[in-house]
Amino acid sequence: MATTTASLTLSSSDLTSDALSISATSTLYKAGTTIGLDQVTGLTRKVYATAQSNATLISAASYTDDTHNRIYIKNVGTSSTDYFTIELGGSNIVIGRLYGGDWLFIPYEGEQDIDISSSATDMELEYMVIYQA
Amino acid sequence: MATTTATITLTSGDLTSDALALSTTATFTNAGGSNGLIGTTGLGRKKLASGHAQYVLFDGDAYANGAHKVYLKNTSTTAAEYFTIEINSEQMGKLYAGDWCLFPWEANADTNDIKIDPSADDMVLEYMLFIDE
Repeated sequence: MATTTASLTLSSSDLTSDALSISATSTLYKAGTTIGLDQVTGLTRKVYATAQSNATLISAASYTDDTHNRIYIKNVGTSSTDYFTIELGGSNIVIGRLYGGDWLFIPYEGEQDIDISSSATDMELEYMVIYQA
Repeated sequence: MATTTATITLTSGDLTSDALALSTTATFTNAGGSNGLIGTTGLGRKKLASGHAQYVLFDGDAYANGAHKVYLKNTSTTAAEYFTIEINSEQMGKLYAGDWCLFPWEANADTNDIKIDPSADDMVLEYMLFIDE
C-alpha cells in the first residue's frame, strides 16, 4: 500500500472582510478503508490540435465500478478565454469549465466516462487518475 | 475585484518509484476574463441525516452560468462514512471521511444542481462556493 496525500490551500485577503485561509489535507484511501490507493495513470499530458467535442478523457471501462478513485485535471494553457468543458457520463452533464491555469480534484467511482470539449485549437491539459484496482 | 488562490499539492514517496510532488496554484477568475471572483457563500457547515437523500446544496437555478468554484469536505473521521456528490442527477463520486474536492461549476442549466447524500446520520459537510457574479 502506498501513502499519497492531497493538500489544498484556499486563500484570499480581500474576498471578504475576514481573510480566507483554508487548509485541508487528505490521505488517499480505498473506499471505506484506511488502505492507501496503489494504482496511478501517471501524470499525463494531452495536446489537442483541433477543437474537441465530447471526447473521452477518462474511460469508465478502465476502472472497477464503485471504487474510490481521484481525478486531477489541469488546463495548462495560459489563455483566459480558452477553456476545457469537463463532462460527466453518457449524457455529457457539464461539471464546469477549466480556463487557463485552472485545475480540479474530484472523487471518481469509475462508473461514468469523463469527457472533455475544448473551445479552441492547440489546447493542452494534464490529468492523473489515482485509483484502486 | 478580489484575488483568491487555490493551491493543490499531491505527494507520495511510494506510489511509484519516482516520488510524486505535484503542486500548482490557480487564481479564481470570471468566465473568459481575468477579473477575480467577488462573490462567495462563505465557509459553511451542514449536518444531515441519512434521510436527507439528495439534499440540494447548490441550486443551479439560483446562479448564472459562470466560472463558479465549489469546495467540499467531509468532516467525518469514520472511514466508512461518505457523501455521494451528484451534479444534475449524475453521480460524480463519493467523499469519504476527511476527503475534500474542488471543481469548477458552470450552473449552465436550472437543473444543474449540486446534491449531496450522506451515508449515515448526523454527518457534517463543509462547503464553500466562489461565485462568478
